Amino acid sequence: MAKQSSAFAEIINRLPDPDERGLLSNIDKETVDIVISQIYEGGQKSLLALTGMLVEPGRGDDVKPRYALHCLAVHMCKSDEEKGRRAFTETLATQLGGDKPKSVQKYLIQQLQVAGGKEVVPALGKMLEDDELYESAAQAIVAIGDGAAEQLRKALPGAKGKMKLTIIQNLGVVRDTESVGALKNALGDDDRDISLAAGWALANIGDAGSVDLLLKAANVEGTYERNTATKACLLLAEKLLGSGKKGPATKIYTHLRDTRSQPDETYIRAAANKGLATVTKR
Amino acid sequence: MPKTEKVTRRQFIKGSIGAATAFTIVPRHVLGGPNHTPPSETFGGALIGCGGRGNGTFEAMGLEAKKLAICDVKFVGREDNKTVYRDFRRVLERKDIDVVAIATPPHWHALISIAAMEAGKDVLCEKPMTRFIAEGRAVAEAEKRYNRIFQVGTFGRFDVSRDPRSIEIHKIMASGLLKKNCKGVHIKSGGLKVKEWSGMVNAQPQPIPKSLDWDMYCGPSPLRPYHPHRHGGTHRGYWDYEGGGLADMGQHHYDPVQWVYARDDTSPVEIEAYAPPAHQEACGMWGWVELKYIDGMTFVFDSREWGEPYNRKQAREVLLSDLSKEDQKKIKEMPDPEPLVSFAEAVKTRKRAGGNADAANRSATLMHLANIAIRTGRKLRYDSVKEQIIGDDEANRLVNPPMRAPWHL
Repeated sequence: MAKQSSAFAEIINRLPDPDERGLLSNIDKETVDIVISQIYEGGQKSLLALTGMLVEPGRGDDVKPRYALHCLAVHMCKSDEEKGRRAFTETLATQLGGDKPKSVQKYLIQQLQVAGGKEVVPALGKMLEDDELYESAAQAIVAIGDGAAEQLRKALPGAKGKMKLTIIQNLGVVRDTESVGALKNALGDDDRDISLAAGWALANIGDAGSVDLLLKAANVEGTYERNTATKACLLLAEKLLGSGKKGPATKIYTHLRDTRSQPDETYIRAAANKGLATVTKR
Repeated sequence: MPKTEKVTRRQFIKGSIGAATAFTIVPRHVLGGPNHTPPSETFGGALIGCGGRGNGTFEAMGLEAKKLAICDVKFVGREDNKTVYRDFRRVLERKDIDVVAIATPPHWHALISIAAMEAGKDVLCEKPMTRFIAEGRAVAEAEKRYNRIFQVGTFGRFDVSRDPRSIEIHKIMASGLLKKNCKGVHIKSGGLKVKEWSGMVNAQPQPIPKSLDWDMYCGPSPLRPYHPHRHGGTHRGYWDYEGGGLADMGQHHYDPVQWVYARDDTSPVEIEAYAPPAHQEACGMWGWVELKYIDGMTFVFDSREWGEPYNRKQAREVLLSDLSKEDQKKIKEMPDPEPLVSFAEAVKTRKRAGGNADAANRSATLMHLANIAIRTGRKLRYDSVKEQIIGDDEANRLVNPPMRAPWHL
C-alpha cells in the first residue's frame, strides 16, 4: 500500500515546479499530458488518492495535486469522455459534506463547476446550506444549469442573510418561474440587497404579474436603489416586449416617462420614450 | 439626445481634489443652461480605480473635467464620502458627476460601467473592457438602453482610421465583396507579456492590509484568501480578475486591426490554441491561438514565449487585387468611412464614440475566446450572433460565469 502511494506521489511529482517567482513558466505539455493520462487510467482509486493530497491553503504544499485535479477535470470534458466524466464528477461529489476541510471541499466544488453535469447537482444542492460553501455551490449549480432551480428552491426557506441573497439572485439567473411567489415576498425584505435582487430576478424572469410591484419598488428615493430598481423595470419591459406582451410593457414605459420628470432623470424618460416607440413599431 | 439635456448635465465646479481644497458647486442658473450662456464647458468627473492606470485613464477622456471624486477599495480609513470614496455606488449617486473614468482591475469594469450608465453618466473604461464575453454584451445593452457614451481605453483605431492603406482595406472588407475565401492573415507576434503577467501557483494566504476592503476588491469574483500578488497590477495574472498578458495587451493590438478589417459587429467562428494545460486560478504560458472568421479571415496571437512559433500560415494583408476589376472599381468609388468620434466629442455632441461598447465587446471577445481555447484545450466553434460556443457546454461556462451576490449583470 505504502509502495503504491509512493508510486502515485512520484507520478504527481513529475508535474512542473513553480519557478522562483511562483509561476509555471517551465512547463512541458507532453509531461503534463502523460501524468494526467496516468491518473485517469488509475480510475477512482487514483482520483481519491489525488483528492487526499489536497490541503487547506497555508497548511502545506499541494500545488501539484491541485493542478493535476484541475487538468483532469478539463480533460474529462472532452466530448468522447462522457462516461469517464460522469464517473469523475460522481467520485468528487462523494467527497463533499464529509471531514475534508471546507477550503478543500470548495476546491472540489470548483472542479465540479468545470466538469460537472446534472448528476452532481443534488450533491451540490446540499452544500447550499453550508455557511462556508454556499457561494461556490450556487455558482457551480448555476453554471451547470440542469436541475439548478430545484436545488435553489429547496434551499430558500432555510436561508438567511447573504445565503438568502445568493439564492434569490440565482433564482433570477436561472429564470425560475416557479419561484415567482417567493421572489415577490422577498421584494419586501428588510435587507436592501435581497429586495433589489428579488426585483431584478422577477424582471429577468419576465413576470407580467410583477409590473405593479416593480413600479412601486422603483419609487424609492435613495439614488442607487432608485437606479437599480428602475433598471429592473426597464429590463422587465424589454422581456415582456420580447414575449409579445405589449400591454404591461407599455404600462412600465408610460409610468417611467411620467414619473421621471426631474432634470437628472431625463435620460430615463428618454429611455421610456424609446421603449414606447418600440411598442408602437411592433 | 435633446440639446437641453446636454446643457443641464454640465456644471461648473470650482476647485479640485488634486489641489486638496474644498470645492463649491455653483448652481446652473448662475452659470448657464437653457437661455443662459455657460462660461465653461467643464464637466464633473470621477475616477474609480486609482492604481497605476488611474490618472492616465482620467486624462484620456480629453475633456475639461474636474476630478470631483476618487474611489478605490484601498481607501479604507481614508474615505470621507465627499471627495474620497471606497464604494463606487456612493460616487455614482452624485448629481454633479457627468463622466466617469474606470481604471479598476477588469473584473469590475463591466459592473461599474453599467451602474454608471444606469446613473446617467458617460464612461471611459480602461482596457480590457471585460473579464468575460457576456459582460461585454451587457455593457452594450446598457449603453443602448440609456443612450450613454461608452469608450474603451484603447485608441489605436483612431490612428488607423486616418491611414489611407487601412482605409482601403476597411472599405474592401466593409463592402462585403469578399464574402468567401478571404486570404487575409494578421499575426500578432510577441509583445503579449505572457510570462510577465502570469499568476503565482504557490501563493499562500497572507493578512489583509487594513487599508484594503478585500471583499469588495474580489466583488463578483470568488472570494479567495488574500495575497498581495492578486492585487495592485499583478492581478493581471489571475483568471478571477483579468486573463494574463493576452487579455491585458490583446485589446490594444487587435482593436485597431478589428476596425481595419471591419469586424466591429462580428466574431471568429473557429478558435484553436496551442498551449499546455492551464492552471485553475493562475494565467500561464501558451504558444499561439488561431481565430478564423466565417469569411476565412484569420487572426493569430503568437506569444513567442512558449513552445514552437506559429507556422500554419504566413501574414498576408487583404489586397485590392483580391477583387475582380469590376469590384475594384466599386471600392474606388466608395466614400471613405465617417471619421471616428472621440470620447470628448461624443460627450459633447451625443454621437457614438469610436470605441463604443459594441466594438469594444467584439475586440475583447477575441481575447476571451483565445483564453477559453487555452483553458479548455479544445478547438472551439463560436456562434458570433448568439455569442455562444457551439456544442461545448463546459466551455460555455467560461462565456458567462456566475457572479458572487449581490453582483450580477
